[in-house]
Order: sequence, then C-alpha cells, then structure tokens
Amino acid sequence: MATSTGRGSAPAYESTRGSKAGDGRDKTIWLQLLCFLLVLAVWTLVSAVGMVSASALPGPRAVAGELAAMAGTGEFWGALGDTLRGAVAGLAAAIVIGVPLGLVSGTYAAVEQSSRLLVDVLRSFPVIALLPVFLLVLGSTSGMKATVVFIACVFPIFLQAQYGARGVEPMIQETVRGYRIPRLLRFRRVILPSALPSIMTGLRLAATTSVLVAIGVEILTTLPGIGHMVTQEQQSGNSAAAYAYIITAGVIGYSINRLSGVMETRLLRWRPPAQAS
Amino acid sequence: MHIVSNGLVRSFLKQLWLPVVVVAVLWVATARSGSFYFPPLSEMAGALWTGLTEGDLKGDLVFSLRNIALGTVIATVVGVGLGAVIGEYDRLRRATAPLLDFARATPTVAFVPVIILTLGIGAAPKVLLIFIGALWPILLNTISGVHGINPAVRESARSYRIPWRLRLLKVVLPGALPQIFAGVRIALSVAVVLMVVSEIYGSPVGLGNFILRSGSSFQVTDTWAGTILIGILGYGLSLLLLVCEHALLGRYFQRPPRARRAARTHAGHSSDPSHDAVQNADQNADQNEVS
Repeated sequence: MATSTGRGSAPAYESTRGSKAGDGRDKTIWLQLLCFLLVLAVWTLVSAVGMVSASALPGPRAVAGELAAMAGTGEFWGALGDTLRGAVAGLAAAIVIGVPLGLVSGTYAAVEQSSRLLVDVLRSFPVIALLPVFLLVLGSTSGMKATVVFIACVFPIFLQAQYGARGVEPMIQETVRGYRIPRLLRFRRVILPSALPSIMTGLRLAATTSVLVAIGVEILTTLPGIGHMVTQEQQSGNSAAAYAYIITAGVIGYSINRLSGVMETRLLRWRPPAQAS
Repeated sequence: MHIVSNGLVRSFLKQLWLPVVVVAVLWVATARSGSFYFPPLSEMAGALWTGLTEGDLKGDLVFSLRNIALGTVIATVVGVGLGAVIGEYDRLRRATAPLLDFARATPTVAFVPVIILTLGIGAAPKVLLIFIGALWPILLNTISGVHGINPAVRESARSYRIPWRLRLLKVVLPGALPQIFAGVRIALSVAVVLMVVSEIYGSPVGLGNFILRSGSSFQVTDTWAGTILIGILGYGLSLLLLVCEHALLGRYFQRPPRARRAARTHAGHSSDPSHDAVQNADQNADQNEVS
C-alpha cells in the first residue's frame, strides 16, 4: 500500500496500518528525526538568546550533560526506584480491587446502574486534593503515597473492567446460562477474557496516572522520589538537573505507554483483529 | 412522551439512591464522631457554607476557577488550531507523532516546582501550567479526530474544491468535534489537578492553598470542607462540559454516526458519554501508536 502520491494521501482505514511498511516507513523516521532536531534547535535558540531566564529553561546541552552525569549516580536510581515502587504498589492494589469489582458490577445491570452516579462523582474527584487530609491522617509515609496512587488508579481500571464486562455478547451470555455454567467459572473463563481488551486499556491509563500521581505527591511532600528531586534541584539553583529529572519522568511515562501497547498485542493475540478497529 | 419521561425519572432514581444512601450513612455515622481527623459531615457542610457565604473561601474559589478557565480556554484554542493543521497533513502528523506522544507522557506536575520557583507565585504561572497540561490531550485528540474523518467525506470536499476556510468550519471541525470534546474533558481533569498542585506548592490564595493552610493549622473541618468543594468543582466542570457537548453534539447522541457506535448500541449499551470518553482516549492512544 505504498500510496505515497505526494498529495497528502488520504488512505482508507485499513491501509493506514499497511502504508507504514516499506519505504514509507523509512521516510517517516527521517521526518520524525528532523522534527526532533527542529525542536532541539528552537529550544537551544530560545535559551541561548535569553528570551527565558536560564533558571526557567536551561539549554538542551546542559540538561543532556546533567542527565548523563546523573545516570551513573545511585541517587538517581534511588529516586527512580522510590517513585516506581510507590506507583507500582498503588497500581497493583488498584488492579486487585478494581478488576473484580468492575467485572461484577458490569455483569449485573442493576449494580452498574445504581453505582454509576456515585462512581462518576468519585472519579471526577482530583485525588491530589486529598493530600492535605491524608497528610494529617496517615502522615508523610510511603504508604500514604501508595494509597493516593491507588485511589487515582482504581477508577479507570474499575470503569474499563465494567465496560468490558458489559460488552459480553448476549448470545454468549445466553449460552452460559443455558449450560448453567457455575458463576465463578463464568467470571474466570467467559467474562474476564472478553473484558480483557478493555481492562488493558484501563491498565494503560492507570499506569500513566500512577507515575503522575506518585510524582505529584513527591513534589508536595518530603517523600523521596523523582518529584522530590525536581523540587530539590530547582531550589538549589540547578535547573538543568531539575529538567533532567523531568525528562526522566517523561521517559518513564512514554515507556509505560509503549510497553503496555506491546503487552496488549501480546496478550490479546488470540482475538480477531477485526475487533480492534 | 409520558413513557419517556417516566423512564428518565426511573433511571435517574436508580442512579441516585446509592449516593444518597452513602451520604446519609456517612452523615449519621460521623454525627457523633469525636475523632479529630473525621469530624461530623454536618460540620463540614456547615464550614463549607459559612466559608462560601462569609469567609474567604469564595475568593479562593474564584481565583482557582479563573485560572482553570483561562488555562483551558487558551489550551483549547491553541490545541484545536494546531491539531486541525497537523491532522490535515498526514506527513506532518506522522513526523510529529513521537514527539507529541512523549510530550503527553511527560507529567506536567513535574514542571510545577520549576515554573513556580522561577516565575513566582502569582496567577500567571498557574495559568501557564494549566495551559501546558491541558494542551496535550486536546491537541492529540484533535489530531486523531481530524485524521479519523471518513476519507470519502474528505475526498468529496476536495473534489468539490471547497475553499479551505469553509472546509475547516463545515467539514474538519464538526467531524472532529466528538474527539475534541473527549480531549477537553481529559484536559479539564488535568487542569483541576494542576490547579490543586500548583496552589499547594506555592500560592497566597486559591482552593489548594485553602486546604493546605487549614490543614497545617489543624483546622480539619475546614480542610475537609475545601476538599469537598474541590470535588464538587471537578464534578461540576465535567457536568458543564457534558451539557455543552449535548447542546452542540445532540445529533451524535441521537443516532450512531459510525458503525462502531452502532455495534455498541446494539450490544445493549446506551451511548453513555462518560464511558465514551475513556474509550475515545484509548482510541486516540491506539491511533497514535499506529502512526
């Protein structure tokens, strides 16, 4: 499908996937590289001309230097580990609680309907606003960080599991009922697999959120982690290092997106691709 | 007609009873609460009311709301404008995709210390932060919305040589509007989070500052009241957006415009917009990965 006729070709839906094969892909990579270099150039220019003070936006070279220097220190990896530990602990708890609850509530329409408004209200609650209350009640501990992450992550997972469970085809539902398949088996073998694509979406959203919330908590408290390092470096006037940590956070978020994408295709390989688009 | 309204009322009641029960249970359970950390709910509500009517909570609310509104509106204008351009040109879209993905994946909260420590604790740095955070979801959703417009529509617009301005206003933007709305909804929740974080981090006023202030002076009731108010604010904003969405996009809710939606409604779901948002966000992520 190499329809690179040069006039902003509008490929049909199916061909978007195909068109990236072959030489079209090579060209795209060059374009992407060009774009990246362009951004770097603009960044350098802005910081060199002095449009923005160096403490607000240090040049890319300084940031890259800091990043390279930092990568060898234990402090950097310690901060990374602290952030990830909090994020993963909260996320794991959110999966353990959110998936079963979501599946059950998605299977029974009455439960779903009664809980909809409540979940909607709770979901739109900005979790980070609970921080002052949590600081009072739980204190500044890593358990508190994990709790905040948990609350932030449980809703996307819950909702996506619910959504997936609602999508089980009526025919399959009827078949399961007809054969009187035991409830537990039904959840494990029918509802969970068919909700899995949706759950994976929730997981991906939640994984990104978990890191974001963990960093947010670290910025506002004295808990160790990347967020704390950003604050500390910026306060001590080393904004290049602060930016290096911000970029690290970006790399984490980006890799989570990529990884969960890979995992998703891996786990859902059994599914007919027609479902995807 | 009668049946329709009856059904509506019933579904509303079905949704409403649980929140009412939860609030009632909390109200009763905490009524005699002697706990320092969990004061009675009635007292929180009272603190909220007095804070809003005579206290300084109103000023904090106005300050926070204004920052959110400003940041989100600027982000919407910039995001939709840029997104329409990037989405229209396939090559540009593919070239910028990894960069934009990376930018979106970077947690904006990490910029809070940098921006507030260098630009000060006033309103402008907060608007800037909210703008940065809100921009990415809107931009990426606009791109994928514009890109996802049916090629047949695109081709016929081109073959009739519809002038670009007309095409933008009558074809591209309306086609992308559902996705744009999904993006704005995500952006609004990001904006509220950034509002809270930036105000807790450094601000003389604002809701975030209110809960921090009252928390650190151990006025727990006020802290809870402020926290509840932020929750109401978050829900209120998303409700407001939903109303706008229904007003502007009524046609999308009446009739499924795409086969995908049709399949979903057949499977027995109402076109529930809140779930669509998550779904749309995912769709967006998927499309970005394909590119």
